Amino acid sequence: MTNASEVLSSIQSAFPGAVLDSRVESDRRLWATIDSKKILDVCKHLTNKLNFDHYSGSAGVDWIARNEMEVVEIMASHGAHKVVAMLKVKTPRENPSVKSLANLYWNANWYEREIWEMFGINFEGHPGLYPLLLSDQLIGSWPWRKDFKGYPDLTTGERAVAITTPEGYTEYRFPPTPAEVEAGAVVAERPKYPTFREREEREIKSDSEMIMHLGPQHAMVPGPFLLDVLVEGERVKKGFLDVGYIHKGIEKIMENRTWLQGIVYTDRMCYVASLSNNECYCGAVEKILGLEVPERAQYIRVILEELSRIQSHLIGTGEFLTLVAGVGYAPWQYMIIDRERIISLIESVTGARLTHTFVRFGGVRNDLPDDFAEKCKSTLPYIKSRINEFIELFAQDAIYQKRMENVGVLSAEDAKRVGIAGPALRASGVAYDMRVEDPILVYPDLDFKVIVGTKGDCADRVDCRLREILESIYIIEQCLDRIPAGPIKPEAKIPKKVPAGEAYYRVEDPRGEMGMYVISDGGDKPYRVKVRGPFYATLQTLPPLLEGVYIADVVAIAGSMDGCPSEADR
Amino acid sequence: MDIIDSISQFATQEPALFALIIGIIGAAVISGVVNVGAMLVIWGERKVLSDFCNRFGPNRVGGRWGILQLGADAIKLFTKEDIIPGDADKGVYVWAPIVASMATMLVAAAIPFGALHIGGKDYPLVVANMDISAFYVEAALSLMAIAVFMAGYSSNNKYSILGAFRGIARMIAYEVPMGVCVIAVAVMAHSLNLVEIVQSQTLWYAFAQPLGFVIFVIALITDLGRIPFDQSEAEEEIISGYNTEYSGIRWGLLYFQEYNNALLGSILLSLLFLGGWQGPIIPIPILDIISPLIWLFMKVVIVLWCLIWVRASLFRLRIDQVTDLGWKWMLPLSLLNLGWAAVVGSYFA
Amino acid sequence: MGISDVIPVPVAIDDEIEKWTIFGQPVAEVWFTTTEKIHQIIEMGPIKNIFNWGRKNSVYFLMQPMGCCGVEMFVFGAAPYDSDRFGCIPRNTPRQTDVMIMSGYITRKYLPVFKNLWEEMPEPKWCIAIGECAISGGPFYDSYNIIQNTADYFPIDVFIPGCPPRPEQFLEGLINLQEKIKQRKDKRDY
Ligand code: SF4
Repeated sequence: MTNASEVLSSIQSAFPGAVLDSRVESDRRLWATIDSKKILDVCKHLTNKLNFDHYSGSAGVDWIARNEMEVVEIMASHGAHKVVAMLKVKTPRENPSVKSLANLYWNANWYEREIWEMFGINFEGHPGLYPLLLSDQLIGSWPWRKDFKGYPDLTTGERAVAITTPEGYTEYRFPPTPAEVEAGAVVAERPKYPTFREREEREIKSDSEMIMHLGPQHAMVPGPFLLDVLVEGERVKKGFLDVGYIHKGIEKIMENRTWLQGIVYTDRMCYVASLSNNECYCGAVEKILGLEVPERAQYIRVILEELSRIQSHLIGTGEFLTLVAGVGYAPWQYMIIDRERIISLIESVTGARLTHTFVRFGGVRNDLPDDFAEKCKSTLPYIKSRINEFIELFAQDAIYQKRMENVGVLSAEDAKRVGIAGPALRASGVAYDMRVEDPILVYPDLDFKVIVGTKGDCADRVDCRLREILESIYIIEQCLDRIPAGPIKPEAKIPKKVPAGEAYYRVEDPRGEMGMYVISDGGDKPYRVKVRGPFYATLQTLPPLLEGVYIADVVAIAGSMDGCPSEADR
Repeated sequence: MDIIDSISQFATQEPALFALIIGIIGAAVISGVVNVGAMLVIWGERKVLSDFCNRFGPNRVGGRWGILQLGADAIKLFTKEDIIPGDADKGVYVWAPIVASMATMLVAAAIPFGALHIGGKDYPLVVANMDISAFYVEAALSLMAIAVFMAGYSSNNKYSILGAFRGIARMIAYEVPMGVCVIAVAVMAHSLNLVEIVQSQTLWYAFAQPLGFVIFVIALITDLGRIPFDQSEAEEEIISGYNTEYSGIRWGLLYFQEYNNALLGSILLSLLFLGGWQGPIIPIPILDIISPLIWLFMKVVIVLWCLIWVRASLFRLRIDQVTDLGWKWMLPLSLLNLGWAAVVGSYFA
Repeated sequence: MGISDVIPVPVAIDDEIEKWTIFGQPVAEVWFTTTEKIHQIIEMGPIKNIFNWGRKNSVYFLMQPMGCCGVEMFVFGAAPYDSDRFGCIPRNTPRQTDVMIMSGYITRKYLPVFKNLWEEMPEPKWCIAIGECAISGGPFYDSYNIIQNTADYFPIDVFIPGCPPRPEQFLEGLINLQEKIKQRKDKRDY
């Protein structure tokens, strides 16, 4: 099996001089700084020769003290080996520009657009650097640069000026503050995302076509994002996405909070999976600190993460059911009722229903209550029987099968190529689970299957999610049997300041691969936190899936992806 | 007896005026009955559906059963702002709910609401006892599709126009099999008059022609626009479809007519296939007079309950699957059923 | 304050009618002079109470999950907490709703959308702000993209603090709103 040092030597021998600096952190992590001229070739080499077929995202970092910017490409493989290569490309801070990977990897498109709008790093050869998350107004002020003057901004709302458009809609303009003007917020030539009218003019070819908004407020969207579909009659011809309606700038905010305060923000990224998010952030920080987590704390974390996976899958499937069956459909209510039981289990430990802030660096906040194991043992078999019932119900429902089968099919090749994550990927038959690929905590000791589907259609995705709940229950049962007594926090006091260093840590979020790239410069605040969210990756794949389906299938496909736009927008 | 004498005297002296007065009274009574019935249907649906979903449903307004919930809804809708979208086709927009109400009233005029059993004879309660009432009722029931189209077209909204198209496509696909089923019943009963159809059912037609019964039920659900055939509304896809832009009392009227139709549709189903008001006479004074009414009422309640049951347990079909089912399966099968009815009907006649 | 504010009469017709005359008298005098009077009767008499009773007991809310609190809103409308008990059900189109539940962060990009949704709702309408974000920006108060002072844009009737508030708090907020409608304590009058 390939390991990190082999990968490094392979790159070095193929491209002498391309690797400027490198660090082999472990068998699974490779950090390398690549010559910006060679990055495309290195990536091609990695993909073609070394099976790095998973482009997992990229992060921008603004090193203001060194007067340079960095783009970190995160490359991994769908199961061929377990190395994650973090390839850094440096560029000067004046007119920063690097080569685009968007032509090599389909899903690099969004990551690069995000880096461009946040840092102002130009990507040569990118098909279209439109704003992604920010509104047009903020483009040009490069908010995630370290010298951005618009943060903190306590007057955003007060400065808004209402304008009534000719069509009678209200719009708001935000005149820039003097500080923003000084920082160059007003850039005359800013590429704008095409407005609705422009898009209509460009896309509509005949009288029988129209563009329909599904969102930002629509029954389909689990949080505000805009899906425009070009329809001809009932057929969808094309889909367009517009996200960023709830972009809060979490990554920027986290840079300005202490390390501990950061946990609070990870909760609010994907609120139905907040424990996984906690884990991801804390795990990365622990890696930099070199902390060992006591075994009992590891078990507690695993139990709670799996419980949170169960409740997330339940509400995701419940929402999906309302979309294809209407709110009158009874089983979705049963799912929500069952979810309440899980929630009350989690609540008995963490004290909160959604936003737990429970995981701490090197441990957890508090121990399990005494009767927790009993409660689990009475609740979980019930949930298990209910889930089995649901699986059977959907398998026997003729209308359901007719609606869902062969709808929104994503083949294994396509699923790998577009970088989709989680149950949506596994439904296509790719067994890619972070709990196996990048094992953390006590997962290597536990016995569980990675659930995979066969066809990758909507029915498969929902089925995978439901069967994963059964696996999670199995994991929890094992943990409850094995959990040792002992401390739940490290003995040594956690320092306020984290030593300089960087780490990339991946966990299996209910929605799939979640990674956090945390950089410390030795201060009491993170220097940079980059979140690689699973729904961000999934959302990107939505438009191509919609081509040629019926409108009714659009909601089914979008629903079967189990969305969480808050995490995509951050 | 003075009053009856003077009334009959008046009737013979001024027949036209008398007919007019009777007509007005009848219309008032019928619309009252239908509308109150529909309110009860909405309330019943909210309660029964809540029960299916393992929750309580309205239980604060008007006591433990939330009886007055609909009153509150109606008052609120009456006092809401009346919005007509700027780009709407105003005339059509305003008329759509009215056409919908007219459609249900047209049905109500010809449908028997039961019968009174006096002196060993059934006296049907029907305003206009027409010769072709079965056909007429079935046709008038589908007038709602016109109202749906008017509402959807005039709103000038993309969701609405899609809802309108879906409504019409569905109506066309299912009106024919439904009509053929009514013909099959008429063939067996040797009449198109609903009263006579009921009286001819010694064996319920649901048993005499089971295939026709199934097809009629499916076509009826389609006509009523309920899950799994509520594509013209499809809350989750096209956001209430044809009534997306409607607000206040106009929306209330459209919404109300759906339930009016559900009530009338289930009465029609009971009359055509479930023996109508026929049933053993309860041998208790007074109760024996209204016992046919009781039987019909029970059948209608059961049919409505089944409609809600279907809503709580089935998925919504896609529009192409709906039309597929209609043209490829329902129509040929309904013709087959017609053949069956002709053969069996002539044998028994 | 004319009758059109109380009972739906298309505004255009209302204006027209003022100009009509009958027997040399303005129709409005003969026929509709009572608009003001009717309104006064409604204001003082028991009819007002009946109207408010109806409005209070039938608040439909706009299904618009925006953030973490949106998930709780979803649960609030579903079986475990069952807002339908109070006559409060979710609708998807703003035209048919009475109360806007602001369930999360309002960003620069989302504010215009949200305002349009609010304007599409027919009067009388109410607004509930749920969670710290909707009240003041919450944990994201100093972000470049978050609107902190939502109360400047929307006439908020009930604030429900919490991050996120529990669904029970949602219910309490709803009951408070109902009380407010009943007492006519909200600032708008119809
Ligand atoms: S108040 Fe808290 S829970 Fe609610 S949306 Fe804001 S951050 Fe999320």
